[in-house]
Amino acid sequence: MADDAAAQLYQAFVSQDPAGAIAVVEASRHSGLEQAQLFDQLFAPAMSLLGGAWASGAIDEVTFTQAAVVAEQITSFVTPPAASKDTGVTVLIGSMHRDYHSIGKDVIGAALKEAGHRVVDLGVDVRPAEFLERVEETGSRLLIVAAEMTATARSVVRVREMLTSAGHEDVVMLVTGGPFAADVSLAKQVGANGVVRGVESSLKIVQKIVRDRLGGGT
Amino acid sequence: MAERSQQLALAEGLARQGQVQPAVEACYQALRLDESEALTHCLLADLMLTGDFYDEAISSAARAIEMDPSCSPAYLALGLAYDRRGGMWDQSILVWHELAEVEPDLVTAHVQLGEAFSAAAFDDEAIEAWRRALELDPAEARAMYNLAVAALKKEGMATALPGFRKAGELDPSQDDLFFSLAGICDDGNPAPDPAEVAPERQARLDAAGALAFEEDFFSAAELIRLILDENPEDPEALGLVAYLYLKQEAVNEAMACALRALSISTRTPTAVYCLGVAFSKRPGLSRNATRVFAALAKAVPKQPMPHVLYAESLLGLQRYAHAQQAYRTAIALDPTCVRARFGLAAVLMTEGRFAEAQWEIRRAAYYDTRRQGLFWRLYDVYAEGRA
Repeated sequence: MADDAAAQLYQAFVSQDPAGAIAVVEASRHSGLEQAQLFDQLFAPAMSLLGGAWASGAIDEVTFTQAAVVAEQITSFVTPPAASKDTGVTVLIGSMHRDYHSIGKDVIGAALKEAGHRVVDLGVDVRPAEFLERVEETGSRLLIVAAEMTATARSVVRVREMLTSAGHEDVVMLVTGGPFAADVSLAKQVGANGVVRGVESSLKIVQKIVRDRLGGGT
Repeated sequence: MAERSQQLALAEGLARQGQVQPAVEACYQALRLDESEALTHCLLADLMLTGDFYDEAISSAARAIEMDPSCSPAYLALGLAYDRRGGMWDQSILVWHELAEVEPDLVTAHVQLGEAFSAAAFDDEAIEAWRRALELDPAEARAMYNLAVAALKKEGMATALPGFRKAGELDPSQDDLFFSLAGICDDGNPAPDPAEVAPERQARLDAAGALAFEEDFFSAAELIRLILDENPEDPEALGLVAYLYLKQEAVNEAMACALRALSISTRTPTAVYCLGVAFSKRPGLSRNATRVFAALAKAVPKQPMPHVLYAESLLGLQRYAHAQQAYRTAIALDPTCVRARFGLAAVLMTEGRFAEAQWEIRRAAYYDTRRQGLFWRLYDVYAEGRA
């Protein structure tokens, strides 16, 4: 069955028939082939047939090139989407008031966005009141506060105080930055729920929090 | 004094042979005879740098510049010594600036200037310097790596990764891997005339490989066509033609030929390589690329580049810890691998380990200048010009 479909797809390539190629892909999908399997089980075998046909001289160079163009046109139908699916989780991220370090925050924010989270980047030098304002505005229950200096790291406690006084004790506040990596007890002192130690750590922690505490969404 | 003393000539000869300690001794002897010779101070600085004696290197290079402010190799040694010593970014910026003025067309001076700016957190100036380097030489891989790191800092890995891959393609080490997998080495002889190649499979394949090495892709493809006309199921010929297509940006044709080769024989490393590269050029196929490069790294575990390619594909999957491991494996196999050091720097940045990342970039800079033989190039030009 898959072999037949691959042969049909190959035929559509060499006939320069993108619509026919898409029809083959759609038919395979309807017959139960998952999106993640389309490339390996349909597209790759068809491409192998194409390579074989060119090698044996069954098709000439021009046909080979034109078939490759058709293959290009339908690639997006058979490859898994480059961007991850929207998780529906909103994550607020920003650097603490009087802290202008942005690299760590930006890299983490970009990775979370790439992983499908809705990231709201508040920038650098964010006042505690602004964190609270944006929590209320977006309804997010997950906040990452970055601080790269000891003084600004200590002042993160004001964000927690502000959230508590406004009745947002349930908001999960994570912290990131050199002072927290060097002294984990500092995170506890400022009322943080956890320390993010870079991108991979942020992905794992956010995924765990979403699963365990936020019930799968914000 | 224009003529080089005999003692200096001896020191030079020893240094070129990599005999650091005797060369240092010869330099000191030469300085005892003539303390004002800029070349000797400059050579001594480079030798000190080789031995990781940064303060001594700084002192000797500074002395050479004092003797002759146009002594370009001394600026190189001084700048590298400042960078590797660390914490002297303001001086480093000045030195690279000077070198860029003494040798305005020296691409590396602009790349280094950018790195010094970046280390001092002047990001915009750094980007400007790397762009200038790319204007001078669009194939300057290190400027591209640095721009990728800058993109990582601002917009994250998803934006930076294509930059790393682009830089990797400019970096000759990736092509070196293919030729090593294909068993093609530079024997110093020019590739044969296609018309004079014996009508045998192996002769044609060897000649096609040699022509591909010289970037004569069309002649190479014609010879491969002759092989395939006789046996369309020749996996090695298909692997080589896949490479030829890749070099001409024909990714789908390359993928088709590589897949065909692997359907005939899974033990075709050149086809595995081409398939992995083709996959890595397609957004959404990071998982496939990872699978392929993991297999390649397993097949040729002593080669650093498959580990680098594997690491880059892992970055596309946000598996940074594994990527770091693969980069470290590559560096352990080849400490001079610039691409692995930049990749590792990127991963370290994702963990907030900026100082370590900068250290890796500085190491990459040092090895890159060594790989280019830049010191000796500048040294010879300077010595000749003076004579």
